[in-house]
Amino acid sequence: MANRLNYKQIGDDLWKGRTEKINAELFSFTYGALVVQLIQDYEDYQEVNKQLEKMGYNIGTRLIEDFMARSNLGRCTDFREVGEVVAKVGFKSFLNLTPLITHSSPPAPISSPSPAPAPTPAGSAPRPSPGSSFVLTLEENPLAEMVDLPEEAVEGGLWWSNVLCGVLRGSLEMVQLQVEAIFLSDVLRGDETTEIRVTLKRYLEEEVPAGED
Amino acid sequence: MANRASLTPSLQAPTISSTNPSTASLLTPALLTLSSPPQAQVDINVVEYLLIEATRALADSARVAQSSKDAVEQAMRDAGWLPAPDAGKGETTAAAREAALGRLKDQVREEVERARRAKKEDDDEGAVRLRLENMGVQVGGNLAEKLCRDRQRFTDPLDSVKFLCKEIWPAVWDKQVDNLRTNHRGVYVLQDTSFRPLARLSSPFGSQEAIKRAKLHLAFPCGIIKGALARLGLNGMVTAEVNTLPQCTFQIKIPKSS
Repeated sequence: MANRLNYKQIGDDLWKGRTEKINAELFSFTYGALVVQLIQDYEDYQEVNKQLEKMGYNIGTRLIEDFMARSNLGRCTDFREVGEVVAKVGFKSFLNLTPLITHSSPPAPISSPSPAPAPTPAGSAPRPSPGSSFVLTLEENPLAEMVDLPEEAVEGGLWWSNVLCGVLRGSLEMVQLQVEAIFLSDVLRGDETTEIRVTLKRYLEEEVPAGED
Repeated sequence: MANRASLTPSLQAPTISSTNPSTASLLTPALLTLSSPPQAQVDINVVEYLLIEATRALADSARVAQSSKDAVEQAMRDAGWLPAPDAGKGETTAAAREAALGRLKDQVREEVERARRAKKEDDDEGAVRLRLENMGVQVGGNLAEKLCRDRQRFTDPLDSVKFLCKEIWPAVWDKQVDNLRTNHRGVYVLQDTSFRPLARLSSPFGSQEAIKRAKLHLAFPCGIIKGALARLGLNGMVTAEVNTLPQCTFQIKIPKSS
């Protein structure tokens, strides 16, 4: 904890260092036109959700490389740190916004003899423990500017910004973290806040190609 | 009784005189900047990645839409509501068509199949291009509207095209158009020496193949041009050409009457 990097400062610097910035409205318009076209083609809101997530996954796999190249950050020690980096550096450097983050440690194992579950095992190198999660609360969402969902879209279960879940899943998978990212609430659906929960499913071991030692 | 003007010294509101009842004079530039919300910005790469993925996602969705349309048509045909496609031309059933094909030599049959597949690919690409262009029209129109907010109306089509080159281009691709030519009879040629969507395009099959693929990536920009001009009141045709990457030219034809 003593040498925790100032992620907020890093995020701000990365954003300022970006030379090519454009109006966020272009982003909203483009994304909006795309979602509308997908809805017209698929005519099924759940399918559109899946397609948006898939798109996001592919985008995420590219974004993480851009991110790694520019940010030069080292490995995160635990999932909590992953969440901090995603919120304060990741979102900031690409979308110029910092979502609020709330961390949760994994639920206590039922058959554990010890009274309190330790978040990281002592001795070996600290690893994120499956089941940890964090919730990102987006106070502003450039994808949802000037968007008004009709009743049937809300009832159909459309998550307008589902591409963000895919981006989180894709980018974190490239750093060996298999996560599940889902929307908990969305102001476009009439909820109070827009929240995404990211839960760590498992830590992906680096696979050594067969034949190599 | 404090003088009203003294309550807001920093905004320097002009005093209201009885001979000027309009309150428009109260809108000083300083006030206007305060009232407009701060422009949010995002990194341009995000939009680029989104468009690349959008092309792929739209290809999938176009295929799904086409197959569901075909399924509906087939169901209607089975129910007898629609005539069969080759009705009245003699051999209508699929079996008869197969028999006719069987009479041709194998090589010719392959040619027919290949032509049909190529046509299907063209249709698929046409469907994606259409969707990308529609997206562009939406985006271009909305963007033009936003950027024209406090301006006078454009009287000359040339002014509209210049607005497109100087304001819309930087809003989308962070640079202005490099060259604008016109014959003053409704044809405008915009040239961009380093068009952003094409800047990092290359193909393992050579530059000719890359140029062919580039055509698809020009659908969205064509749509933006079309949409922006339409929102400004000019309905024209837009075509794009690429001879050497990353240079490209857009040709706009605006009929004189509009």
